[in-house]
Amino acid sequence: MLRITGNGATRTCDGLSRRDFLQVGTLGAVGLSLADLARAETAAKKAGLKKPGNDKRSCIMIFNLGAPSQIDTWDMKPDAPSEIRGPFKPISTKVPEIQISEIFPQMAQHADKFSLVRSCYHTAAAVHDTGHQMMQTGRLFTGGINTPHAGCVTSYLMGRRTDLPAHVIIPEPMGRTGGNLPHGQDAGFLGKAHDPFALMADPSKPNFKVPDLLPPADLGEARLDRRRRLRSVVDDTVKNFEATADAQLLDAGFESAFRLMTSVQAREAFDLSKETTKTRERYGMNRFGQSCLLARRLIEAGVRFVTINTFITVFDEITWDIHGSKPFTSIEGMRDIVAPAYDQGYSALLEDLTQRGLLDDTMVCNLAEFGRTPRINPAGGRDHWPQCWTVKFAGGGVQGGRVVGRSDQIGGVPAERPIDPGEIVATIYKSLGFDLETHLPGPQGRPFALVDFGKREIHELF
Amino acid sequence: MHTVRLLPLVAWAIFWNPAFSSAVAPAAPASSLTILPGDFTLYGPACRQSLVVERRAQHDYVGQIAADEVSFQSGDEKIVRIENGMAIPVADGTTTITANHASGTATVNVKVVDMTKPFTWSFRNHVESVLLKSGCTTGPCHGAQSGKGGFKLSLRGYDPEGDFVALTRQARGRRITPTDPGRSLILTKPTGAVAHKGGLRFRVDSLEYKILADWIAAGTPAPKPDDARIERIQILPENVVLKKNESQQLIVLAHFSDGRVEDVTRWTLFTSANESAVQIDQTGLATTVGYGEGALTAWYLSKVTTSSITVPMATPAPAAAYKNSADRNFIDQLVMGKLMSLGIPPSPQSTDGEFIRRVYLDTLGILPTLDETKQFMADKAPNKRDLLIEAVLDRPEFVDYWSYKWSDLLLVNGDKLGFGNRDNANQALLWSYYSWVRNHVEADTPWDLLVRELMTASGSNLENGASNFYLLHQDPLDMAETTTVAFLGLNINCARCHNHPLEKWSNDQYYAMANLFSRVRVKQDAGGKSSVVYADVSGDLIQPLTGKPRPPTPLDGTPLALDDPKDRRVHLAAWLTSPTNPYFARSITNRVWANFFGRGLVEPVDDLRLTNPPSNPELLDAAAKYLVDQKFQLKSLMRQILQSAAYQRSSMPLAANELDDRFYSRYYPKRLMAEVLLDAASNITAQPTKFPGFPDGYRALQLPSSSAASYFLSTFGRPDRLVTCACERSDQPTMVQVLHITNGDTVNMKLSAKDNALGKALAAGKSDAEVLDQLFLHALSRLPTAAEKDRVVKELAAAQGYDKRKAWEDVYWSVLSSKEFLFNH
Repeated sequence: MLRITGNGATRTCDGLSRRDFLQVGTLGAVGLSLADLARAETAAKKAGLKKPGNDKRSCIMIFNLGAPSQIDTWDMKPDAPSEIRGPFKPISTKVPEIQISEIFPQMAQHADKFSLVRSCYHTAAAVHDTGHQMMQTGRLFTGGINTPHAGCVTSYLMGRRTDLPAHVIIPEPMGRTGGNLPHGQDAGFLGKAHDPFALMADPSKPNFKVPDLLPPADLGEARLDRRRRLRSVVDDTVKNFEATADAQLLDAGFESAFRLMTSVQAREAFDLSKETTKTRERYGMNRFGQSCLLARRLIEAGVRFVTINTFITVFDEITWDIHGSKPFTSIEGMRDIVAPAYDQGYSALLEDLTQRGLLDDTMVCNLAEFGRTPRINPAGGRDHWPQCWTVKFAGGGVQGGRVVGRSDQIGGVPAERPIDPGEIVATIYKSLGFDLETHLPGPQGRPFALVDFGKREIHELF
Repeated sequence: MHTVRLLPLVAWAIFWNPAFSSAVAPAAPASSLTILPGDFTLYGPACRQSLVVERRAQHDYVGQIAADEVSFQSGDEKIVRIENGMAIPVADGTTTITANHASGTATVNVKVVDMTKPFTWSFRNHVESVLLKSGCTTGPCHGAQSGKGGFKLSLRGYDPEGDFVALTRQARGRRITPTDPGRSLILTKPTGAVAHKGGLRFRVDSLEYKILADWIAAGTPAPKPDDARIERIQILPENVVLKKNESQQLIVLAHFSDGRVEDVTRWTLFTSANESAVQIDQTGLATTVGYGEGALTAWYLSKVTTSSITVPMATPAPAAAYKNSADRNFIDQLVMGKLMSLGIPPSPQSTDGEFIRRVYLDTLGILPTLDETKQFMADKAPNKRDLLIEAVLDRPEFVDYWSYKWSDLLLVNGDKLGFGNRDNANQALLWSYYSWVRNHVEADTPWDLLVRELMTASGSNLENGASNFYLLHQDPLDMAETTTVAFLGLNINCARCHNHPLEKWSNDQYYAMANLFSRVRVKQDAGGKSSVVYADVSGDLIQPLTGKPRPPTPLDGTPLALDDPKDRRVHLAAWLTSPTNPYFARSITNRVWANFFGRGLVEPVDDLRLTNPPSNPELLDAAAKYLVDQKFQLKSLMRQILQSAAYQRSSMPLAANELDDRFYSRYYPKRLMAEVLLDAASNITAQPTKFPGFPDGYRALQLPSSSAASYFLSTFGRPDRLVTCACERSDQPTMVQVLHITNGDTVNMKLSAKDNALGKALAAGKSDAEVLDQLFLHALSRLPTAAEKDRVVKELAAAQGYDKRKAWEDVYWSVLSSKEFLFNH
């Protein structure tokens, strides 16, 4: 029996049995095909059951892995001593009250579209991994409980909108960042069914294609058909297997994989060659730029949540992680390589989403795991600093051109309106239309609050 | 949105006492009808007892007479009267109650006392019950760690003293208005008179309201140390056999320390462990919705008990259906007993091909070779299955498979031990830990010895691999939680912050247990390449709630003195691995069982709590006892399982057992685990997978760590070995797996490699039919059916030249992507 309400209806103050969720989590187990599901969904619509969120809203989460220095980017301290203010100068933006670093000239022209939160902080250990967990799931992992990424929560609560998966990670999941802890980038206790679809490819590569999405080149349509025919020959012999839940789940897997593979809409969404060279160049012919462009295409095609990792690791890659010494990055590395690509890709994304009328319903949030030490270290870089940093929000109901919170004179601690990761994730949920009182099916069937008690969205943004 | 369900005032009563018999239901009278709960006592005017008329056939309860078909008659209306199936006291005295039904009558004795004594509601036993059943003290509401709306109560009311303070003193006492109880916030909020985030919880004319209001009016009496304490609860009927689509009202009785027994049905939380068979609502009305057995759990004032409802098939299988299944050992006796009681027929025996494939995959993690399959099929010996089992248990691959399994459990992880050094092949600590596991599997070390050695491990983690366990878990809380999950199948982490809501473990016990690990120390060697683990003679873990250490105690074992200088882990290990520790033997038995049968007697396999009962409790007990009798030799248990007719059944369901997924009427197909699947694909195509850093030909199951880079393995649910939890490994099929099999390079590269198994077979000039037979026999342990052969040959015939080889690759693909290949069946 299918209970549509189990799939995300908001509930408060009621112990929700594990089974409610299992019934939907393992559709296959109760013998439902996708067609059955579609029928049930229609029936649910007729019966007036509402989705637990705003069906029109989407989210692009840009994760600035490595963690930008707040002082060198969006929270400059020009009046501080030189060992604090660093080498860069502030520039004016389209919004008179906002100044940002000279390394982001294009962003400055779009300051009316985004708002800054300059008082973000967390209190966990200053390793990248903890920040990843907290900023993507709203919580630090404790007691073996892996809380789900906001995009996976979206997948659980809202399901997929089209043939495309609900949540896609571009270009690939975060790799090693030194802490050897989980990064909070999967569905955790919600189960593998809600894990994100990871692109696992660099969209800026000339021969870019999504691994496994399309058959290998030598496998034409004729052969695919032949394979499908042959497979049904073998599978028909053991039809009786279908009494088993996992066997049904496998069939469902074949069906949705087939849907994805054969859906023109889905295939085209991943095909960057459909874009003009001019557009592609506007985003920047690099991994981050093309990731932003791909994210826009996916949102347009119906994906609900896209996570872009600006980098995959902090080792031996030029990233935001400007310790100043090898194998990390120097301030100059950031200035010459990281910032220009970021400036171009991000501003192009905001511009493009605006022109296409998508920004109102697409939240673009730019997060990072922490900030960097106000004082420049002996190697000329800056180290980890979770006490204070800046994040950005645009679209999805967020008003542009605002600044929420303030740091002290050296960007060391929040001086006004301190904001923690729980509130950041609550802000995303708010934009997607979720009731913050919703409960998810937690480990061992216990109800798990969507956000920790007392966490609210940053209301000044809306 | 949830709205509160208002319980009809039918099934409640407050005090109850069986005056003449004890808590057990009375012996069946001559009539086949019985009144539950049997003879009872009513204490004082507020007391009620619900009555259920139950039919009996021989020794079983077989269902309830519908309330509207029964008329109750009080022997003396001046002593007790009956209203809607509820006994209500009138005056002190004794009398009888008779139930009249078309099919007969039944009578019970009733005693009424204390009608003239003053009466007040008890905070500990009544007010807390109201708060829980109304949802106030549950996790999503005020029972949350941080409370709700600034008002925090203990989770499920485990701390009445604290809750009393929260209700009467906190927030400057604003929650209670002693002079006008009806204005108290704790009444105006849940009744909706004042805005309440949690919605309407009960109405003004409800018993809930009356109890809270009376308690306030009585001057909010505090919980007293000499309050009667709950001792245990009991469900009636404890076992009942019903038909599908029948209802059964349960009665829950609470036994208190002063000898009273109350009907607490109204205040009990009910859950069903198997909702496909039995559903239950919060009035205690169970409804059967399918066939099988449903365990029901009742929860009242931190006490838990279970009852079961059996729903045999509508048309039970004829006796002959059970005759063909062999009775090989105790497993078969207990499985068959259960199946017969449910009327579910067993599937017939598996074919030889199915059996050899199944035994190899479940015991060794490999497919049998072509020759092995052929030989076994041709063997005429009547005991050839037993011979095969013995041979399999002795094979070297047994060591690979079980070392891998236990490495999952013990979190052998090169990433963690190598501090980020990903070169697993040259990771000294990884190899030290893995070799320790492997050597024990190879030596067939009894499970209790292995665990004892691990628990008490000391010394250099390069020389003693076991001590790496303490490197992976550096704080006592982590060690205590991992130990209990891994070896007892118990999750105690709830008790880290509060008493466990579903189990008996308290916060005190949690910290007493964790304190056993507080003296484990790890010191890095000079050079930092290895560490030494040792037990210190001082140091304690502080329990945050009290600010003091608890005497180190293994859960419900005996405590050690805080100043006892000996290695506390020795004390723990003795308790942990003792043959009398019921959790230890049951936990490992259930893990081994689940490996073979695909479904543990308890699911999930590491969640052996009371409220998650086994599908066949007698069987789990018997298997655990067998293992203890065999001195924890796991191979002995495996042998019994492999030899049982239950294990050797076909996976093909019969119409009458298709719905069974827990009583072992057939073998349940299960998706091959990631590593086994990859090895099998390599094997069929004769194209080994290369793992960076490891020698050629190394199989996935031989890898010491779960962190060797492999997209295939992580996609197919290989565990990360970061947390000890059966949930880490997933055998669930997903879309991404299908995409990888269909379009990914793992399978496709193996298929297109020129010199693979296919290439060799074609080069050897074998006929199409021969190659096809070989493929089917190797991959599926059967020959193709005529229909399959026919259609495949047609496809091959349609392909010419270069496409011929490609067509063959497609045939291979269709086999490697078929359910029959991906599943063990």
